Amino acid sequence: MTDKSNKKLHGVYAEFDAVDPLLAACRRVRDAGYVKTDAFTPFPVHGIDKALGIKPTALPWIALACGLTGTAIGVFMQVFMNTFDYPYIISGKPFFSMPAFIPVSFELTILLASFGAFFGMLALNGLPKFSNPIFTDPGFDRATDDKFFLFIDSADPRFNHKGVARLLTDAGGANLVDVYEDDTSTQSPKWLWIVLGSVIFLSMIPLLLVARMRVTNSSSPRFHVFFDMDFSPAKGAQMTTSLFADGRSMRPDVPGTVAVGQFDRELDFYSGIDMDELARRDSGRAERLVRAMLYPDDPQDATADAEAAAEQPADAVPATDQPAAEAEPAEAATAPPAAESPATELNPAVVEPAPSPTGAAVTSEDTTPWLRKNPLELSVEVVERGRTQFDIYCATCHGNDGRGNGLVNRRAQRILATAWVQPSSLHQDTLYQDVYPDGKLFSTISNGIRKMSGYGSQIKASDRWAIVAYVRAMQASQNADVDDLPVDKRDELKKLKAEVEAKLAAAAEAEQKKAAEAELKRAEAAKQKPADAAAKAIP
Amino acid sequence: MSLAIPQGLDNTVERPGERAPLVLGETTTYHSVTEMVSQIAERPPSRAWVIGFLISATLASWFGICIAYLIYTGVGVWGNMNPVFWGWPIVNFVFWVGIGHAGTLISAVLYLFRQDWRTSINRAAEAMTIFAVVCAGTFPGIHVGRAWLAFWLAPYPSLNLWMWPQFRSPLLWDVFAVSTYGTVSLLFWYMGMIPDLATFRDRSTNKWRRMAYGILSLGWSGSSRHWMRYEKAYALLAALAAPLVLSVHTIVSFDFAVSQVPGWHTTIFPPYFVAGAIFSGFAMVLTLMVPARHIYSLEKLITVRHLENMCKIILATGTIVGLAYGTEFFIAWYGQVGEEKFAFVNRAFGPYWWAYWTMVTCNVISPQLFWFKANRTTPWRIVVISIFVNIGMWFERFVIVVTSLSRDYLPSAWGYFGPTWVDWSMLVGSFGLFFTLFLLFCRFMPLINMAEVKSTLAGQLHHHHGNH
Amino acid sequence: MSEHKHHLKTADDPSFQLPASLAALAVPLAAVGGAMLIIGFLIGAVAGPGDAAESWRFTMSAYLVAFTFCFSISLGCLFFVLIQHLCRAGWSVVIRRVAEIFMIAIPALALLFIPILLASWSPSGVLYPWSDAGFGDSHGIPASTWEEKLRYLNSGWFSVRSAIYLVLLSGLAIYYFRLSRLQDETGELTLTERMQARSGPAVMIFSLVTTFAAFDWLMSLAPMWYSTMFGVYIFAGSMLAAHSAVTVATYLLQSRGAIRDEVTIEHYHDLGKFLFGFVTFWTYIAFSQFMLIWYANIPEETEWFYTRMQGPWHSISYLMIFFHWLFPFLGLLSRHVRRRPKLVFAWSIYLLVVHFFDLYWIVMPQAGPTLGGASGILVSLLLTLGMFGLYIGGMLWFTRCKQVKILAVRDPRLPESLAFENI
Repeated sequence: MTDKSNKKLHGVYAEFDAVDPLLAACRRVRDAGYVKTDAFTPFPVHGIDKALGIKPTALPWIALACGLTGTAIGVFMQVFMNTFDYPYIISGKPFFSMPAFIPVSFELTILLASFGAFFGMLALNGLPKFSNPIFTDPGFDRATDDKFFLFIDSADPRFNHKGVARLLTDAGGANLVDVYEDDTSTQSPKWLWIVLGSVIFLSMIPLLLVARMRVTNSSSPRFHVFFDMDFSPAKGAQMTTSLFADGRSMRPDVPGTVAVGQFDRELDFYSGIDMDELARRDSGRAERLVRAMLYPDDPQDATADAEAAAEQPADAVPATDQPAAEAEPAEAATAPPAAESPATELNPAVVEPAPSPTGAAVTSEDTTPWLRKNPLELSVEVVERGRTQFDIYCATCHGNDGRGNGLVNRRAQRILATAWVQPSSLHQDTLYQDVYPDGKLFSTISNGIRKMSGYGSQIKASDRWAIVAYVRAMQASQNADVDDLPVDKRDELKKLKAEVEAKLAAAAEAEQKKAAEAELKRAEAAKQKPADAAAKAIP
Repeated sequence: MSLAIPQGLDNTVERPGERAPLVLGETTTYHSVTEMVSQIAERPPSRAWVIGFLISATLASWFGICIAYLIYTGVGVWGNMNPVFWGWPIVNFVFWVGIGHAGTLISAVLYLFRQDWRTSINRAAEAMTIFAVVCAGTFPGIHVGRAWLAFWLAPYPSLNLWMWPQFRSPLLWDVFAVSTYGTVSLLFWYMGMIPDLATFRDRSTNKWRRMAYGILSLGWSGSSRHWMRYEKAYALLAALAAPLVLSVHTIVSFDFAVSQVPGWHTTIFPPYFVAGAIFSGFAMVLTLMVPARHIYSLEKLITVRHLENMCKIILATGTIVGLAYGTEFFIAWYGQVGEEKFAFVNRAFGPYWWAYWTMVTCNVISPQLFWFKANRTTPWRIVVISIFVNIGMWFERFVIVVTSLSRDYLPSAWGYFGPTWVDWSMLVGSFGLFFTLFLLFCRFMPLINMAEVKSTLAGQLHHHHGNH
Repeated sequence: MSEHKHHLKTADDPSFQLPASLAALAVPLAAVGGAMLIIGFLIGAVAGPGDAAESWRFTMSAYLVAFTFCFSISLGCLFFVLIQHLCRAGWSVVIRRVAEIFMIAIPALALLFIPILLASWSPSGVLYPWSDAGFGDSHGIPASTWEEKLRYLNSGWFSVRSAIYLVLLSGLAIYYFRLSRLQDETGELTLTERMQARSGPAVMIFSLVTTFAAFDWLMSLAPMWYSTMFGVYIFAGSMLAAHSAVTVATYLLQSRGAIRDEVTIEHYHDLGKFLFGFVTFWTYIAFSQFMLIWYANIPEETEWFYTRMQGPWHSISYLMIFFHWLFPFLGLLSRHVRRRPKLVFAWSIYLLVVHFFDLYWIVMPQAGPTLGGASGILVSLLLTLGMFGLYIGGMLWFTRCKQVKILAVRDPRLPESLAFENI
């Protein structure tokens, strides 16, 4: 009020007590030709838009456009997600199920249309607007209580301070107030920016941490805010339980049942024996063999089994914990005790036993009708598979080249293990196909021989056959001639051979040189610290 | 400025051709309306408020503790079992969503039908809606098992999951319906409050209070141009919210009715659920408003006529619910499908017969007392009957969820559901949360829509002038 | 608003009478209608689609469609009147009498129900398959189930129930019509109070009767099918038809010079809103019913919709989505449309036609898998137009003879209705 002269006039308003005088005044002001006018009332006054000449709003169109956008988003989102991008059969409904897509489309229509109505209203009204020159006079506070105000803007082309004041007074308005533009600083206080900035900065930290976590690896175990079912009470392998009388959490197969996929090939495939032929020659043995496959745990058949077990593939007794030694083979019992001499051990070709888990050798002639042909259809893939399995299970003892000098063997010799039996080399005449049929090799892998235990429970039958195929390939490779190769491969091999030989020669030369150098160094070192060097040489 | 309407006038009597006043009091003016409503938030809280707040806040905290316990331990702490996988959490969810319907119904549907009497009660009813939706939303959120992964329900492109939600499932419709409903109700409520918050702002003498209400009221000035767009937006929101109210409980009913569970799969469910929701919502409004009106001396604004009208709506919707119960029973017999017949006989005479008959007594019989005017116009009787209605509607959801699931198609899988202490705590705790929020609202926000009441008063004044 | 002063005309103003040009149509309309009805029956009997049994089933079904079409209008108008009293509505007073005239046709329509009643006694199940006792056997329904069904669906009990429905509805219609007309003379306020006080129980009776009449008359055409929502579905259609009929009648009356000053744009605007509302409500109910049955996919329920997804019914089912929902929904969405009486009138006629197709779609697929060819369509057309002519002609004749005013001239809320303005 003090320095009005310096301020720019914003407009003039007058106060009214009731609706009807206000409306009358509005009409009068409108008829006088003023357009930049406004009334301020504590509640919506019916008819004031006509009295002031306010045009209807476009809000319904905004809401309609938003609503249709919502419908479109709803429909396209669901069709894209459930019909095209991630089609998934549920309760027999088609991927494109319009009835099921209606509820969400409807909700999104309403949601977006409501946003349109609400935010559209705020935008058209220019809200939020926290600074308004009209609020400067405390008398105006009653505009939200019980008083009505009619305002004429100074920007109106017809505005003239005296004329407006007279018009408003004549129209019944009281307490005329001149409103001046608010010239207080529009700068926000500094502390606000500081607080705001630090809040934003601090709130970014967790986000950045999360973002960092997502792109980095960590070797420390997961930090469990929520357990996420990571600690399940389910039993692991070899754990005990109080649930079953025998205390084992791993359950054996139920006797007399066949698991899915357990016998989906003929029995020959699992035994390595031509079972029809065996039944013709020795029906009792064939029967026992089959029984043992089907009823691995049946104690009634324990003795009858024993004999069968002597040659039955361990594949049929996958989960049995019965130690092999417990089932004393009938045949082995009657047969003269096998010589445990290292000679026979080392040379399985001399004695030709039916493969027996106890390692007992039976000297009688092998009349078993072994399968002579690998039942798998041979291909590069099968042999490759055989190589993989061989390298995993067999190579540790037999060596990658099958010469019986795997890592275990080497270590056993280094530590001079007394009970160690040298694994067989697979490259010997007695193990070639003509004398040692594929079926027999299969059976040996399955049931073991001498110190070698059976791998039937660890390797799938088809993989055992693949190993057989690989062993045969390996055997052939060691005695092959260049002429055995296809014509187009021969040159390649020759080239390869030359390369390898050259490399070997180079390597040998380098080795020699190195050895000489090392010798020289060692000699020097020995001179300086003889005791130390001696200690190092021992391992 | 004042009205010549005697203080003790019975505005429940209306001579045809004349409209009974909705705002009473010889000395009631625009300013006195402002005073009556504003002083609730301006005076220090009464002892009753403090005690009520402490009790409900304690219960709400207990609710929070129970949720933490549930999340830490797992949903096994509930009584949910096989075959009743949806136990109390879903019963409570449907119950609270139903309560939430009266608010928007009063604001939107009654607005569209030009029922002026809504102006005194719509604000509190809308607030109640939002708080009820908050309570309702909690239950499915914690019922999903791993509550911290509830955001998987949202259709966002996830690099971990590489999949989208299943939009052909009614449970996902529910997510969208309830969240849309919560959002739109919030907008509606807030938008309605903007002018009244401006009144609070202009009355406040304290700088901080003025700033807080100033920010909330977005600089509302009461400009006629603003009012015009505001009213249009209000009408639009009302027109959008009215089908929304219907759709929300319809979709909740779809959760049940699209299944093949006997007793759930019946086509009357959508309108019957909606009627039931309105029924329970109005009962809750009355349960809250009758005491509030007494405590805050708002008898001139929330008159007996307002209460009576709400009682009539309860009577109407209660009767519709009763008709639906009857239709269901009849069709179960008429349809001659064995499982359906069994399901309904089992409801009434099976192991949960007590729940069924509690429901029928509270929902169908007790509202019939509102045929008598004395019951519609005596506040304490209204409260008692309303509470019975609320109990009945909780039991309705219990009957639907539990009896049908406990006796499914497979008799070998039948079972009997029993709640655990966590179930009980959560039911009571959700009431605590609801009342806490409501009491905070009464304390800090305009309990009655002043602008609309003044508008009604203006209409009365105008009419008054016209008659002379 | 002070600007809108309405000067009340006297009660015997000629503009409150049925215009002579319309009154003159009464007898010709009824006569032509009756004749068409008879011709329709004859064609149906002689040259209907299929063999004699099929032809009769088709003709009777077409008759049922025609009957329910007229009946649903009157039924909706009865509810309209009841709900106005229940809510003490003021805006609707100027159009309430038009609804009351539609409503008072219910007792007359009861007579037209007689052919349906007779058909329900047919031992060969001419209209209702359940009246053929062998139906269960021939459709592989277990005997015990079928026997149980027949305890409700049998000719005697059906007739008793139908009589109860018609008597109750006629009673309500006559009661409200009489009191309303009485007020034209006396202008007594107590009459309004009486009508208001009784509207609560009346609505309860109405709801029960509508629900069960819908089950009996329409749902039992497929005796094994059931839907709890069916009554609400029929109610929704009836309300839509009633609001359309009131709009059409009011517009026609105004175009002939009657009640020109009384019914204003504001009333059309409100009627337009109700039309829009009931289009939406009908869609909501129809969709909910379909959705629940489609989703659950239980054979005993899908049968009904399955029938309607075969042959020509499949296309009609799809067309219903567009014609009964989408077009009128979009058409009535805008306030500008609802504030133009001519457009509201046009949409009302349109909605009456689609309401007819709704009923046709409910009834006719039970009569056969086709539309019945040219003769079938002709029979449907003749019976419907005939029945509608008889219905309207009878109503005009009644209004003329009884000197019924077309405005509730001394209703205490008439001034409020006259001054009514939408926000």
